[in-house]
Amino acid sequence: MSATPTHSNGHKFTPEQVFRQYAPRVFALARRMLGNDADAEDVTQDVLLQVVRKLDTFRGESDIFTWLHRMTVNAALALRAKRARREERETHDPLDHFLEDGQHGKAVHPWSVPPDQQALDKERGQIIEQAIAKLPELYRDTYVLADVEGLSNPEIGEMLKLSLPAVKSRLHRGRMLMRDALAPHFEEVAT
Amino acid sequence: MMTCRECAELLLEYLSGELEAELSERIKLHLEFCPPCVTYVETYQTTIRITRQLPAELPPEVEERLRAVLKEHLQ
Repeated sequence: MSATPTHSNGHKFTPEQVFRQYAPRVFALARRMLGNDADAEDVTQDVLLQVVRKLDTFRGESDIFTWLHRMTVNAALALRAKRARREERETHDPLDHFLEDGQHGKAVHPWSVPPDQQALDKERGQIIEQAIAKLPELYRDTYVLADVEGLSNPEIGEMLKLSLPAVKSRLHRGRMLMRDALAPHFEEVAT
Repeated sequence: MMTCRECAELLLEYLSGELEAELSERIKLHLEFCPPCVTYVETYQTTIRITRQLPAELPPEVEERLRAVLKEHLQ
């Protein structure tokens, strides 16, 4: 095999390395977009088989990384469309929580969360995952790609075929909805 | 004077530094006098920070099935 993609340290990637390094990320992204393990497994299988088939065509680690994101997003969107399970959930605007005079409709309390360098505990992780799962699809895809996967707004726009203002608007509303959903769990208890 | 809603509406672009200077100054002024909005901004930023800490995990039973499919494909 020639031109096998190389790891950043110069070593060539094997299917096993691709699996170990990327399968958990592909599965996690698909599960967050689709909301269930079975569909995420189908997408992960599809994406992994394709990446292994195309292993010779990648030019390096960043090439695989970009391609896997794109393939996972496309496969997840295609599966969602195929199963015609697009939700009919009402998507309310988080800005509606503000009163007519423009003030906060509910009291805003500080949160108690671990500092940046400390890993999330399992319980908090589950609370965040559940809040993501409850986000309307309209905002969830953008939110996951930006704030979990760390993709830039232009990259997300290209993947989801959205204009930059649309990406920013959906991301902002997704973040506000997430903030509102997490607040009751993380607010400091008044003493 | 900017309202809390207007402040929240512009938060994404304010925090990413993309907002025009005049609006940015109006938000700063609002935050000087509005403790709830200061907390709102902090918790909005915390939401982003803790979401970025989520791990990517593959359940063992899913890993086993995926490995079997991959192995079969590679043979």
